[in-house]
Amino acid sequence: MNSIQQLPPQLVNQIAAGEVIERPASVLKELLENALDAGATRIFVELEQGGMQSVRVSDNGFGIPKEELHLAVQRHATSKIKSMDDLEQIATLGFRGEALPSIASVSRFSMASNNSEEGNAGWIISTDGREFLEEVEPVRQTRGTTVEVKDLFFNIPARKKFLRTEKTELKHCDNVLRKIALSRFDITLIAKHNDRNFLEVNSCDFLSDGSDRVGQISGKQFADQSIYLENAATDIQVKGWISLPTFSRSQADLQYFYVNGRAIRDKVIAHAIKLAYKDVLYHGRFPAFVLFLEIDPSQVDVNAHPTKHEVRFRQSRYVHDFIRHTVGKAIAETMPKQEQQGAEQYREIVDDYIRAAQTNSALPSNSYMPKSGSSPSHVRETGHGYGAQVVNEYDLLLKTPPEEAHTAEEAPPLGYAIEQLHGIYILAQNANGLVIVDMHAAHERIVYEQLKASYQQGDLATQPLLVPLTINVSPQDAALAEQYSEVFLKFGFRVERFGEDSIVVREIPSLLQQADVNTLVLDVLADLSMFGTSEKLEQANNELLSTMACYGSVRAHRKLTIAEMNALLREMEATERSAQCNHGRPTWVQLSIDQLDKLFKRGQ
Amino acid sequence: MQLSITREVLLKPLQQIIGAVERRQTMPALSNLLIRGGDQNLSITATDLEVELVASLDMEIEDHGATTIPARKLLDICRSLPDQAKIAINSSNEKIKVSSGRSRFTLATLPADDFPTIDDLELDQNVLIKEGEFKALIEKTAFAMAQQDVRYYLNGLLLELDAGQIRTVATDGHRLALSQLDHKSDIEGSRQIILPRKGVQELLRLLSNEENEITVSIGKNHLRVNLANLQFTSKLIDGRFPEYQRVLPEESDNRAKIDKVSLKQALARASILSNEKYKGIRLILDNNIMVIQAHNPEHEEAEDEIEIEYTGERLEVGFNVVYLLDVLNAIESDKVEVIIQDANSSALIVSPESQASRYVVMPMRL
Repeated sequence: MNSIQQLPPQLVNQIAAGEVIERPASVLKELLENALDAGATRIFVELEQGGMQSVRVSDNGFGIPKEELHLAVQRHATSKIKSMDDLEQIATLGFRGEALPSIASVSRFSMASNNSEEGNAGWIISTDGREFLEEVEPVRQTRGTTVEVKDLFFNIPARKKFLRTEKTELKHCDNVLRKIALSRFDITLIAKHNDRNFLEVNSCDFLSDGSDRVGQISGKQFADQSIYLENAATDIQVKGWISLPTFSRSQADLQYFYVNGRAIRDKVIAHAIKLAYKDVLYHGRFPAFVLFLEIDPSQVDVNAHPTKHEVRFRQSRYVHDFIRHTVGKAIAETMPKQEQQGAEQYREIVDDYIRAAQTNSALPSNSYMPKSGSSPSHVRETGHGYGAQVVNEYDLLLKTPPEEAHTAEEAPPLGYAIEQLHGIYILAQNANGLVIVDMHAAHERIVYEQLKASYQQGDLATQPLLVPLTINVSPQDAALAEQYSEVFLKFGFRVERFGEDSIVVREIPSLLQQADVNTLVLDVLADLSMFGTSEKLEQANNELLSTMACYGSVRAHRKLTIAEMNALLREMEATERSAQCNHGRPTWVQLSIDQLDKLFKRGQ
Repeated sequence: MQLSITREVLLKPLQQIIGAVERRQTMPALSNLLIRGGDQNLSITATDLEVELVASLDMEIEDHGATTIPARKLLDICRSLPDQAKIAINSSNEKIKVSSGRSRFTLATLPADDFPTIDDLELDQNVLIKEGEFKALIEKTAFAMAQQDVRYYLNGLLLELDAGQIRTVATDGHRLALSQLDHKSDIEGSRQIILPRKGVQELLRLLSNEENEITVSIGKNHLRVNLANLQFTSKLIDGRFPEYQRVLPEESDNRAKIDKVSLKQALARASILSNEKYKGIRLILDNNIMVIQAHNPEHEEAEDEIEIEYTGERLEVGFNVVYLLDVLNAIESDKVEVIIQDANSSALIVSPESQASRYVVMPMRL
């Protein structure tokens, strides 16, 4: 039996490092956050071998005085908080006072700093993974701090084995850099890898140049196909960019969420955004977003996890609803507007097509070349047998009706219908050029939104059960069902606890008579325990309405008259979320005159 | 095996048993029929492992044996041959030849041994009952069975037998139908079995309204009905049916006597403007008048009024009109009696002449 001993400080630091320092990217994150907390506006990052050999971060922050250098690398020593009250009001990124000693204990570490206005008058402290040398030495250093971390995990071979290839580690560092670069638009961040420029962003104004930086960091495609949103309540504010539903990702990678400048991944937030995108996103696709939440620091607990990826909100339900509402509203407003260009990603396809058409002299496909006999001019030729006057009258009839003869400027966003293509698409003309509308998809969305509106207005009809449904659940879930019986009631379910581990459903909404009530109730309970709220019931309703909408809307190959087509276009303009059908597919595309000109090499 | 047969003689039994063959299967043998030729008898078997139907024909067989043959193809061939055509069936190792006049068909076959048959029957109780009466019992209640409910025991029909009565009960959790018949038998105590939905539907197709007696045999897990030239066997649902007695509402003074046809027509008219998804309608009973109201999400409204015999208190109750119409279709008499305690409790609908069949419908909160 071994006796109990106090561990040496070095070992304590190494254990702490195990929590926070996992790979070079975690070193980089801690150092960058320190630089930001030091009020830096310019940060240089130099990486070697994906950060495995060296991570070097220099900033122009306010630096550390010579006397405090030694303290800075001590465990639980920080300038960021002083008392318990500060801990509840954290405005800095760090506060635990653990990062530097942890890093220093697993690497060859040196830190040079200068807090005076004089250049080149800094002091340096260094260590090789053991105790720090007593002496600080003078060094050339401009105002600010430079930290260099070499040979990470050189003294912990077991950890070192877990490092991956240079490429993988660099990718992790890249993610950290991107997260930081997006968190503060007022800093200049320059990063080099193996002496080559890797990332460079200049300080910029959030409002005017913000979307440029977003484009630089997360791709131009996202920047082009996102909408800016902003909403504030008394003690909470959110702003940022969210992707249009027609731009979605197959994985949840382009998702940046900041709480008071700190990048986090949070279940509550993720759920709120997912709900906001419900019924506009293709199943299994993920939205992209860069969102900044500003909230009173006392309303959020960041001391939940050593790496601070997770936070706790004091009023998580409130934050959830606020985010969901804000994002949901922004998406609901994606209906055709004057300025908008239609589903952007399809412009690219069109552009590609134009490029292809320009390089190949032959047309990519000739199956749609006008065939003689089907061209509209033939209609007029049939008039040959009649007198000239008759032909003229026919000509008059063929002219577009006067109410459609608006000048292009006054035309509504989606313009006026010209013709129906193969019974599937509506071709319309607006100020920008040609609009192509998927008739069924567009009508489906319109009917769906109408159904939703009318069902939300109407009273909720419920069906009491002759034979109540008993469901076996865990005792926790049974308690939850009891607690939330009001919520269930609101959606037309009467759910009661029935003994220790079962609940009984006595009444269900008439609309969901054919649904699998058992599974539905269990799903709702799972949501309630996780998020304190559930949309499953509403979702089940909406799914049903969506099916009804699909059956209730015009199918492809149905001939529409010009008047009917115009009516559909006007309804699209008035309907929320009408740029996508219920499944997230786009409902219309714009082909501008410019793009058409390119196709025909006009004006070149 | 070798046999020859007239088209009409073969077609009728094929049509009777084809319902047991599912259109899509994972077991190839189940899409075939088992044909077995004995001395003076030909038997044809169809099964889906839950319901088994065996048709037997008295006829001369030239060459004994057993084989299997694709069920739907054989039926389609028989159906498309001319009336009174003579059909010859000839089975050799791997193929079956079906020929009639100048038409010849060669069909694939599977060994008769691969064909699954229901065994371990353990039938322990026989009940003799008139075919027509048995059919009526099922017909009056089968519509209320559940369909693909997670409560599997609701996806079938309860058959309850005791020394003096036979009773059928079906419910889908929203409404319930019960029908009973006085019938002496030697059953001790009472016995409950649940016949699955598919079995009920097939049995209804086979039963006729004849007066002759048939034998219903009950085992632990099976029910068998022997009809002339046809044997029906079905597995039973292993479960406990809800205690239906507790669901039957108590007697009440609020009884309305209504002409069935005019009620049916008024309901059908009003339901045009009810919600298309759940068909809710409102009934207002007051002093010999019934008002039927319906409205839909588009805010369109229907109102209909019929004369009834009612002296109870004024009542306003919502119902799913489909449930009411189902009940009215199952009741044979000219008038129906609706008994309701209050707007929140279930309604009992019966024929004023006899309470042998009782229907319970849960109201809807509109």
